[in-house]
Amino acid sequence: MRAALQSLPRGAGLVRLVALVLSVFGLAAGLRAQQPALEEGRSRFCAIDIYVDAGATPLAAYQLEFTATNGMAKIAGIEGGAHAAFHEPPFYDPKAMQHERVILAAFSTAAADKLPVGKVRVATVHLQITGDSPPQFQIKLQTAGDANGNKIPAQASFEERKQQ
Amino acid sequence: MQTRTHNSHHSFWRRSALWLSGWGMLALCLALAALLQGCMKSSLSRTPLPEPIGTSPFGFVEEPSAGRNVTPLGSDELWILARGEGPAEPSADAPGSGELMANIGEKRVPMPLQHTDVRASVSGHIGSVEVRQQFQNPYTGKIEAVYAFPLPHNAAVNEFIMTIGERRIRGIIRERREAERLYQEAKRQGYVASLLTEERPNVFTQSVANIEPGKQIDVDIKYFHTLDYVDGWYEFAFPMMAGPRFNPPGTSNGIGAVARGQTGVSGQNSEAQYLRPRERSGHDISLKVDVDAGVPIEQFECKTHQVSSQAASPNRLTVSLDPADSLPNKDFVLRYRVAGDRIKSALMTHRDERGGFFSLMLFPPRDLAGLRRQPLELVFVLDCSGSMSGRPIQQAKAAVQRGLHLLQPGDSFQLISFSTTTSRLGDSPLEATPENIHLAMQYLNELDAEGGTMMVDGVKAALDFPHDPSRLRFVCFLTDGYVGNEAEILGEIHQRLGSSRIFSFGIGSAVNRYLIDRMAQAGRGAVAYLGPNDSAAQIMGDFFEHISHPALTDLRIDWDGLNVIEAFPATLPDLFVGRPVVVTGRFAGDPYTVIRVNGNVGDQPMQVAIPALGRESGGDDPALPSVWARMKIAELSDQFAYRLDPGLCEQIKQVALDYGLMSPFTAFVAVDSTRRTYGSAGTTVPVAVPVPDGVKYKTTVEEK
Repeated sequence: MRAALQSLPRGAGLVRLVALVLSVFGLAAGLRAQQPALEEGRSRFCAIDIYVDAGATPLAAYQLEFTATNGMAKIAGIEGGAHAAFHEPPFYDPKAMQHERVILAAFSTAAADKLPVGKVRVATVHLQITGDSPPQFQIKLQTAGDANGNKIPAQASFEERKQQ
Repeated sequence: MQTRTHNSHHSFWRRSALWLSGWGMLALCLALAALLQGCMKSSLSRTPLPEPIGTSPFGFVEEPSAGRNVTPLGSDELWILARGEGPAEPSADAPGSGELMANIGEKRVPMPLQHTDVRASVSGHIGSVEVRQQFQNPYTGKIEAVYAFPLPHNAAVNEFIMTIGERRIRGIIRERREAERLYQEAKRQGYVASLLTEERPNVFTQSVANIEPGKQIDVDIKYFHTLDYVDGWYEFAFPMMAGPRFNPPGTSNGIGAVARGQTGVSGQNSEAQYLRPRERSGHDISLKVDVDAGVPIEQFECKTHQVSSQAASPNRLTVSLDPADSLPNKDFVLRYRVAGDRIKSALMTHRDERGGFFSLMLFPPRDLAGLRRQPLELVFVLDCSGSMSGRPIQQAKAAVQRGLHLLQPGDSFQLISFSTTTSRLGDSPLEATPENIHLAMQYLNELDAEGGTMMVDGVKAALDFPHDPSRLRFVCFLTDGYVGNEAEILGEIHQRLGSSRIFSFGIGSAVNRYLIDRMAQAGRGAVAYLGPNDSAAQIMGDFFEHISHPALTDLRIDWDGLNVIEAFPATLPDLFVGRPVVVTGRFAGDPYTVIRVNGNVGDQPMQVAIPALGRESGGDDPALPSVWARMKIAELSDQFAYRLDPGLCEQIKQVALDYGLMSPFTAFVAVDSTRRTYGSAGTTVPVAVPVPDGVKYKTTVEEK
């Protein structure tokens, strides 16, 4: 054994040994670190807040279409809005959902003075985004109504929420 | 100094090289192997649970780790100290260690499922039920709760909402594997998420990921279903637990029944965990049913639970579970009788952008009650497996005894028992003479309940022997249905039924209603349930009343102007006295029409006209599309049991996605993406439940 050790070229043996130890530990650590990193890179989750602004008219009902246009987003949940009138999560059309296109609709039977005015968050869409390129979204308000069931002019918009 | 240091290093490496050249190299290899194994550890590793809150001021929280269902807490994990939050439990050791809290003779086991609340409203023969499951993390580390639970097998589950504090997130119906992937990724990244999957039409799995210590997450499930109606009584049933299933050797797609903390020992794809005798989890249930019958309610009964009731009007009834009877270890069954003369075949309809939907409760013609039956060949098939031990086998024997006494001269009978093996009274059916009935009583008394549940052998023994064509053959299965190979059993019935008719009796407090109902449906017969508090003699007597008159067989319906597109069940059962049939379908024509039911009574054809159904109906019911879609899924699933056609899977999946329903191939998923919890995965904690009331733990649950 001793003879074998003495036969090792001093510098070369040391370097090989250090390289072996480092490479093996490096491989193990790399495997541990690499897997989550790769998966993290493949997908992330985000929340998109949906707003409807009917100006001074109290908003009682809406229907809108929210679409991820580049196909890299999957809808993972739909949450209700900020105002009590739209707190319950809105319903969605399951057929449209199969194409990552969500048609949301909600209404409130509350009196006009209990309904929101101005820009109000009516829903939040929870998404899984896959891939490196940022997704493109579109929103289209199909209809909005007041407490009397009349159609009212309104605008829909969205905004990605900063994560806590 | 520098030289000395160099020498020192040199000396270290020389010593290291010497060590490595011998045993040291082997030790290094083993260490590396262990390290690599830690990186790629199987997801099925068994996992110790975190401490219950209150065991110490600090708890352990895991380092983020990649996509694993169950996170091993091995020596290669990085452990981070975190302060426990939330309500403090009395001092207790970790569940799984066997050292638990004492609670007057019972051991209290901390469990993440705290409470289930059930709110049901019934209108006509359709019930709408909301179930809220309240999960709370009683430990000091983050957890994933996994709960296998039952719902009625005909439940059209169409709504799923996860509640975190005041925030409510509606779950999305997705193709099952896609939903599972989405859930796993959200779980891995540390987001609160929930997933609902279907293991059987009446057994579901709820998973809730990243529940932080002390935090509560609620999950709301909503479903519609049709109620049974027998002999003037409607029956609303809510199953509170899935009973422990026996899985025949060689199977792996069953539902394993294992002891608390013994994940993975059953070898089955899914598992339910059961509390050991005298263990309690603290999970309780509240339940309220509102009935609007549309006609006066004459009488109601609940033999399964203590209840309180209110009647706001003659047509309405509210029944609430007594808080003193809140242990969820048996089915809740409410029966109510409405004014008999007012019940007629009734059509409910609904139209929306998808078209027209209807549900028809088809009552047998009154004329049948005045006719006498043909001689019978009655085959009683008793489940004598271990799960039937105790009260269930007593009830089954009492029912058969009553049946034997109700046989008439000219009838014949056979007794078959099955557990691990099958036996029978005689090689062929015996004439119903006093001597033979005495023999049968002796045979019956000697039967004991033990061993496995090889029900397929019982089916074969009951259906395979030659049939006497001069007699009507009725095969009566008396079983709790605690098996995991339902599809195989239904397939055997489908293949071997011939001219026999199957009547299945569910015996016990929390039976497998999916199997028992589907056996009767596949056998074109009917079903009855015999709970621990029911009279076996009366249930069997009622059955004999039904078969004492000829049935309207070979039913065919002429829908006339209704223009029916798809109606289920596709194969209509025989119409027995006192037992209506519910047919659900889609239509494109006029609901104000005359429907004609054609069939045979013995050899004679009979036609029954049901006039102007639409005008007598209960009107519009928006639940009908979901109820219809669920029936279509059930029909396709039954076909899938007989022939494994991948095209059927696609059809089931598409119907479920189009109507937003649970199925074997779809699942609900909900993710809260607004906040990432600390760490990326928690310890998986299966929710253990007690064995059903009257069922013995030691004969049903796998313990290793």
